[in-house]
Amino acid sequence: MTHPTLASRHVTPMHCSHLRHKGMYVTGDVTSEPNGFADDIDATSFWCVCTQKAFGPDGLPVTLEDCATGRSCCNHDAAEAT
Amino acid sequence: MKAFAYVNAANEKEAIAALGPERGRMLPLAGGMDLLALMKDYVAQPERLVNVKNLDRTVAKTPDGGLRIGAAVTLAALAQHADVRRLYPALAEAAAEVGTPQIRNVGTLGGNLNQRPRCWYFRNEEFPCLKKGGARCFAVDGENQFHAIFGDGPCHIVHPSSLAVPAIALGARFRIVGPAGEREVTAADYYVMPDRNLYGETVLAPNELLTHVILPAPGTAKSATYEVRFKQSHDWPLAMASVALVMNGQTITSARVVMGAVAPVPWRAEGAEAALAGKRISEATATAAADAAVKGAKPMTQNGYKVQIAHTAVKRAILKAGGIAVV
Amino acid sequence: MADEQNPPAAPPPSGPARTWPPVADRALLGKPIRRIDGPDKSQGKAKYTYDIVRPGMLYGRLLSSPHPYAVVKSIDVTPALKVPGVKAAIALKDPAGPTAKIWYQGEEVAAVAATTEEAAEDAVRAIKVEYEILPALATVEQSMSANAPVNFPKGNVSAERLTLRPDKADVEAALKASAHIVEGTYSTQVQTHTSLETHGGICEWNGEKLTAWVSTQAVHATRDGLSRALQMQQSDVHVITDYMGGGFGSKLGPDVQVVIAAKLAKEAGAPVKLMLTRKEEHLITGNRPSAYAKVKAGVDAQGKLTAFDAETWGTGGAGQGAGFNIPYPVYAFGVLRQRHKDVFINAGPQRAMRAPGHPQACFITEVVVDELADRLRMDPLELRMRNLPPAGPDGQDLPTQQWRKYFPMAADKIGWSRRHATADTGSGPIKRGMGCAANRWAGGGSNRTRAACEILPDGGVVMRIGTQDIGTGTRTLVAMITAETMGLPLTAVKAAIGDSEYPWAPGSGGSTTVGSISPTVRIAAENARDALFAKVAPSLRVEPAALVAKDGRVQVKDNPAKGMTWKEACRLLGVQPISADGAWQQGLSSSGTSGVQFADVEVDIETGITRVKRVVCVQDCGMIVDRITAESQVYGGIIMGIGFALFEHRILDRNTAKMVNPNMEFYLLPGMSDIPEIDITLIDQPERGPVGLGEPPTISTAAAIANAIANATGARVRSLPLTPAAVLAALHEERSGGTR
Repeated sequence: MTHPTLASRHVTPMHCSHLRHKGMYVTGDVTSEPNGFADDIDATSFWCVCTQKAFGPDGLPVTLEDCATGRSCCNHDAAEAT
Repeated sequence: MKAFAYVNAANEKEAIAALGPERGRMLPLAGGMDLLALMKDYVAQPERLVNVKNLDRTVAKTPDGGLRIGAAVTLAALAQHADVRRLYPALAEAAAEVGTPQIRNVGTLGGNLNQRPRCWYFRNEEFPCLKKGGARCFAVDGENQFHAIFGDGPCHIVHPSSLAVPAIALGARFRIVGPAGEREVTAADYYVMPDRNLYGETVLAPNELLTHVILPAPGTAKSATYEVRFKQSHDWPLAMASVALVMNGQTITSARVVMGAVAPVPWRAEGAEAALAGKRISEATATAAADAAVKGAKPMTQNGYKVQIAHTAVKRAILKAGGIAVV
Repeated sequence: MADEQNPPAAPPPSGPARTWPPVADRALLGKPIRRIDGPDKSQGKAKYTYDIVRPGMLYGRLLSSPHPYAVVKSIDVTPALKVPGVKAAIALKDPAGPTAKIWYQGEEVAAVAATTEEAAEDAVRAIKVEYEILPALATVEQSMSANAPVNFPKGNVSAERLTLRPDKADVEAALKASAHIVEGTYSTQVQTHTSLETHGGICEWNGEKLTAWVSTQAVHATRDGLSRALQMQQSDVHVITDYMGGGFGSKLGPDVQVVIAAKLAKEAGAPVKLMLTRKEEHLITGNRPSAYAKVKAGVDAQGKLTAFDAETWGTGGAGQGAGFNIPYPVYAFGVLRQRHKDVFINAGPQRAMRAPGHPQACFITEVVVDELADRLRMDPLELRMRNLPPAGPDGQDLPTQQWRKYFPMAADKIGWSRRHATADTGSGPIKRGMGCAANRWAGGGSNRTRAACEILPDGGVVMRIGTQDIGTGTRTLVAMITAETMGLPLTAVKAAIGDSEYPWAPGSGGSTTVGSISPTVRIAAENARDALFAKVAPSLRVEPAALVAKDGRVQVKDNPAKGMTWKEACRLLGVQPISADGAWQQGLSSSGTSGVQFADVEVDIETGITRVKRVVCVQDCGMIVDRITAESQVYGGIIMGIGFALFEHRILDRNTAKMVNPNMEFYLLPGMSDIPEIDITLIDQPERGPVGLGEPPTISTAAAIANAIANATGARVRSLPLTPAAVLAALHEERSGGTR
């Protein structure tokens, strides 16, 4: 019996490029689902690579819902490159 | 920790001369097991430490058949001393249970008897509690699972010394030296409740030193200590008890029962003592005495369980003194 | 990612098919090998980050907020600069900016660097900070109460997340149809990682280039973090982690304090070491979130689990979630529903901690299963066996789901047949009991992992891989796999790890290190060895494919006498070493583990104190690389599990949200005398390749102990830790009406 993957737990291009979770560094894949190696149990913690903490440069919590287009400190590396 | 001056006292006179009358400014340093931790946590910030490790650490027989023990003796030496073990099992057992082997090898009898409370509000500089000159005891409506079940406050610490408990049960006297000479007080009178001394736990003045513990001959007394700890390694007792039962054959003629880790001072259970007088040592007697010992306990919001544990400690200390297997 | 059901996409084949040597031919793999850095560690020669002293190095110290919820109104660091020996002092909060708010106790407000630790401490105490203290939320109950202040931007409680399986299942109907129902509230506490080496590092600038010695589980993540936080080129950042003293999921980057050390070092013009204090370690480096569950679960008269319905919540501190999924996916419930909310409080945010979510979910589920067995008056082991996932069409269980095999093995070892059905009715206050629980973990490996191998003309071999040894024995495994491939003794190989300038390997998390590095090191070593064979073959007048490296020789496979020593072979290289790379390939490792644990405990019903007498563990981890380090992971996991079961508890003062036990005195950890006999059976699955083992063994210890306590006493404790207070309360409740 396995809990199926929750699609909403994926980091997408809509998300801030500074958003980090353990899965990115463990799989080497920024768009990987956070918890594949943990049997899909959703216990992920998030942080901002710039502040190195669970609060962003704007002083608010780093979350998968919030760290996306629209937030004042949201950054898209890809957009910068073009 | 705050920087401090250091005086190496060769004898009692030098030590007393180096201490001063103001509380907390000059402090004696023996093993340092408690003091250095207090200093690292900025709870104690002395200007001068006076090394008293060179004071008497011998265990000497007294003319009446008791022992006179220098306060600088280490807990390990005390626990292993043949005369202490033979005459005062309650004291040897308590010494053997303190902390860890490293702590017992360095910590002293005097340091143990004079250590400051482990209350986590007292030990944390961020809580300006009563004992540190603040306005309230944070334990009252806070986290009090390890606090007192006896006493009316206003401070709800439990006294941390597990050697003070058998010292009182065994009728010890403490020799104190100070600028005016020396005096002796009973162990029972040495410890005082917060309403008498909020900023310390004893009658010792800042420029006095406890130098010796004098134990009367045990006579026909059987003694024992029973300590209840959650962890087996390096933990404080949740409750403990020491008993000294003066025997006439199989009958207890008089008893002293003292509980530890239940009140701001080692807590004498006179009700238990009365319950034991004239009885033989048995499970029923011990249980009745334990019932009497915890009668009147006033647990706080989270430490009601300690009443049961104190009860068990008293019961088992009595049975242990009688040589009856307790568990 | 990797799971038996969802295997990762296989990369295109990029070389020869890779295999591990046949079991009979293995000189090192699967054997009990002592870790190669053990002697250095035990003699103090292994220098951890905490031990490193650089020339001219300064000591950094944080000024941490004493207040769990506040706004910084002003910071004046100038008094710190007047303390003798102080070389730098910086403010870390901008009273005029968006970061003025303090969300949890211990948050960094300012920092100093000084020539001694004492001067640094004096200096942080000299800094003047004005706070506006706000009412903090200390408990989930406070945060959830209707009249609580709303301290978090989207409220103190998250929206509800619903899991329902199968879709549109009627949970209430399934419960109603059940023969027996168990209903109760279960909880687990907040646990801190309590790494023995606190978080921190040393930062040293050379112009615009930064070298950082960091206590981290991820040298490459630390490089990424430092370069982003300091707005530098990644190529200018060099991260080194030779030895590190524990992370358990909390050290997956540079973290704030190493970024601060770099800033202080730049300001002071000297290297700065900043290691957190024990108090800061408890407060700001993460924790395992708490878990609460109001459960209703059912079973039919035949012992088939019918339904599991749970309302759950928990706190991951300030702003982070507290997810865990129940029922724990071992037993097959007919229908299940979970409605979960994250609750935020003013305390340090959670981080991944050794099997995130699993011990909480396992405890709740396994206790519920035991209670259902009690209702049925059925042996709880029998109920478990009846509700394992069905075997496949071939009648076999998946290799990742071997509980049907392991439960009876462990039961036999612990003497389950002697277990009394209900409470221990023997005389005396000491009651004995047994309990059990199962675990699972996926693990896997990163297909991005790379390694580089050199064979030197003097016969030396160096394997470089940017992994790190977080105490698990990774350095030893790298050396073993390399030496095995070259046919050399372990001492002939240098394992070069813990350096961000070595080829990329993942952060050590998710029990994926062994699954990432083992295939990669094997392939890099084979590539280097095959290049050596190509050099040697002409002089032996054979094809390279005919050669083997064995027993310190390069020789013809079918004619071992024809060959030369390894050194002679390497001498043929002249002055040019062999350099070969390796890239991870599928097939040499896999994912998915299963295991069970049984506990045998004694409970003193007159004190409520539990002593764990024995833990029996049966656990698989694919192909065992090093039996000693594998067993060592299991010992550590079980000891940590005992800590979670009985002792560890982050206690916040309910009125101020300040932690009352940020130390190792009242944050209780198992000591030597608290550790029971631990009986480990590791199941070798050599055909599967290695699977990570760091996390699975800590998952089910607490559940097994809790079930054993209930078996011993007849009283059920539904919350962790299993303190004397909790056990005595349950005994009291049992006597006055029942805990079940």
